[in-house]
Amino acid sequence: MDYTIWTIAPIVLLPFFAFVINAFIVKKFTKLAVAISCAAILGSFGFATRIFSDFVFGKYAEDYHIHKVFNWFDLSYGSQIFKLDMGIYIDNMSAVMLFMVTGVASLIHIFSTYYMAEDKRFGRFFVYMSLFTSAMLGLVLSDNLLSVFIFWELMGFCSYSLIGFYYEKEGAGNASMKAFMTTRVGDVFFLLGILAIWSVVGNVTFVDIYRAISDGSFNSLYALGIPLATFAGFSIFMGTIGKSAQFPLQVWLPDAMFGPTPCSALIHAATMVAAGVYLSLRMYPLMEIGHLTTMIAYIGGITAFGAATIALVQTDIKAVLAYSTISQLGYMVLGVGVGSYNAAFMHLITHAVFKACLFLSAGSVIHSLHDHHTHEHVQEMPRMGGLRHKMPFTFWAMMFCTLAIAGVPFFSGFVSKDRILGDALLMALANKTYIVPMVLGFGGALLTAFYMFRMMFLTFFGEPRDKDLYDHTKKEKFSLNRNFPLLLLSVFTLGVFFSGSLTGQGFIKVASEKRYEWFKVLITKPKVEKFASYERQPWGHTDIKSNFQLSEAKYDYNYGLSAKEAHHIHHWHLIGALISIFIAFSGIFIAYMMYIKKAWNPGWWVSMFTRWYRALQNRYYFDDFYIGGLIKKGLLPFNNLLAFIDMGLYDRYAIDGWEKVNRAFYTVSGWFDNIFVDTIAVDGTGASVRLFNVVLRMIQSGKIQLYFMIIVFTLVGFIWTL
Amino acid sequence: MITLSSYLMISLALFLSGLVVMIARKNIIAILLGIELILNSAALNFAAYTRFVNQNIEGHIVSLFIIVIAAAEAAVGLGIVIRFFQMRESIHIDDAAQLQS
Repeated sequence: MDYTIWTIAPIVLLPFFAFVINAFIVKKFTKLAVAISCAAILGSFGFATRIFSDFVFGKYAEDYHIHKVFNWFDLSYGSQIFKLDMGIYIDNMSAVMLFMVTGVASLIHIFSTYYMAEDKRFGRFFVYMSLFTSAMLGLVLSDNLLSVFIFWELMGFCSYSLIGFYYEKEGAGNASMKAFMTTRVGDVFFLLGILAIWSVVGNVTFVDIYRAISDGSFNSLYALGIPLATFAGFSIFMGTIGKSAQFPLQVWLPDAMFGPTPCSALIHAATMVAAGVYLSLRMYPLMEIGHLTTMIAYIGGITAFGAATIALVQTDIKAVLAYSTISQLGYMVLGVGVGSYNAAFMHLITHAVFKACLFLSAGSVIHSLHDHHTHEHVQEMPRMGGLRHKMPFTFWAMMFCTLAIAGVPFFSGFVSKDRILGDALLMALANKTYIVPMVLGFGGALLTAFYMFRMMFLTFFGEPRDKDLYDHTKKEKFSLNRNFPLLLLSVFTLGVFFSGSLTGQGFIKVASEKRYEWFKVLITKPKVEKFASYERQPWGHTDIKSNFQLSEAKYDYNYGLSAKEAHHIHHWHLIGALISIFIAFSGIFIAYMMYIKKAWNPGWWVSMFTRWYRALQNRYYFDDFYIGGLIKKGLLPFNNLLAFIDMGLYDRYAIDGWEKVNRAFYTVSGWFDNIFVDTIAVDGTGASVRLFNVVLRMIQSGKIQLYFMIIVFTLVGFIWTL
Repeated sequence: MITLSSYLMISLALFLSGLVVMIARKNIIAILLGIELILNSAALNFAAYTRFVNQNIEGHIVSLFIIVIAAAEAAVGLGIVIRFFQMRESIHIDDAAQLQS
């Protein structure tokens, strides 16, 4: 129950040390390096489990958090305070997040020992994975935006290296560059937001930001004519847009599938994209006072729907999953936008579980399908089909996850997504501007159910379309490192682990219902007023839970509202749930009619909406727009202009002109130097010395009789003059 | 009558011939002989002055000292000449124009 630094820091440090050690030994002892990586992540899973179980299965306490700080550097001078604390902050949300990240990452590590075993850079993959995981864990444990930013960038680097892992492949290098540069756009804004917050709060710790918000420090502060809270919140949300692949900057995530499949699982589920949503949840109070929620809801809705439409026409199994990730992240952001903090976070967790499983299953499928002609693994769905007989375990794992993501009741995706959609529906009722995101959200749910089942039907059902490939595929045998992670993850796609009410709407009363709605009890919006009298603990402090005066968190059936309002909310949540159940099943039904019964011809749709089809295949021309329009038409001419100013004007006139002046000066000064200084002064001195030297050398000849002569003549002359 | 001036004249002649030997001869031993002549002229001056002017024996004693010193000086000079000859195989004075070998 008591926490010292030595029971928290290993969560980050174990994978990090694994990275450091492996970086040195990976070439010679590949197997050992892999073992170290796996052991490290399992160890940090152990530490995270302890924290998780204390926070979740212990007493439910809303306010219990661990916050330890140390002074990183202090540049204060006189009354100018400039000091920066670093620290660890764990509350309910981070505890759940830590458990999810370490758990999912452990399973991905285990799966990678199967998937990557024949790769020639087997060990190096684990080096990056360890660093990636430790960066994400560090981000979750961070107590301030600056260390969040540091780990955020570290993850950007790791994703760069992992996406470009097969650097021999054409496109992998470009994809990694694209991912890195696109997220960089968001990161610049993020840094700007941190600076804006620093200028108001004088610190970037989360608790200090909350306190400043409750104090009203952000009120009536304007930057460039817009409220500073809006500016800061928007900038930080731009970081989320970049990292979580939201609407304008979503282009990098589909290309991220150039990396190995387990790394895609890690990027799409546990680490990279989750970080963006996690950040905007952490900074939720700032978004709220910045009045950004409507914009966030719109971006989330557009992303959720738009990415789902693109996923409809993808034929690469990983591309479908990549677009489904963008779409699901859109739901999370929509959840943030409509104020369903709890559900957005819950969707982050449930999505991490089922998307990790989906990607690992896709990896299992891809790894089994080996083309004997090209010696490459097959990812195209048109060449699959009927694979459920060959890979029963993978099929069932993927089926569970597909049911979850499609929003079928009793699965986790339903629980979380329908809370978001229910809240969106409520917001749309209260405020007309939210109607568009709500409709986009429900529409996206229909498409999600459709394209996920399309993927399942094309991959696992029907007749094998590439008979040769099918026959060469070995029948799947249960192996621990291949199937165990999949099956374990697929078990956790059941809704009961996340909500006791099965539908997720809290209708079913169980004897002590708070136990069954642990997510709702534990994960609540940070109440900023609480942080007014907040005290942090020094680094070496031991947290003993009994020292805290804690109010036990209660499951408030009415969300703290009056009974009438609560009834209203439940009422609309129920309607939302019914709508989305209907939508999910109709999506599945359409997919069934198109790809199993083949009653409806998808080709008809393509021929009817050719232009739309082409737009979808070209990803709404976003890449064309960014590369052809923005970069080639906008940035490149600007670049050329700058180059002209630099080379044509500055270099040519300022630098070369100055050169001419200098040349004239140095001709004059060179002449002066040669004639006056060198010839007259320097050589003249030498010549005069040489002249005397000739005379003196004559006298001082060493011939003793000459000396006698001189002495005699001198004496004679002396006597003569007397 | 032998007077002081005749002694001085002989002494002068001795001194000048010693000087000429020192300056003109290239043989180191000859130069040493020239030095002996100069010393002897000095000793003769002492003896002459103490005989005709002071009328005591102090000049004679100084002359004896000079003879002793001349002997010692000749010994040292000849040692140097022998050492020089071992090194250069020559006793020509112009071969001794350098401060180091």
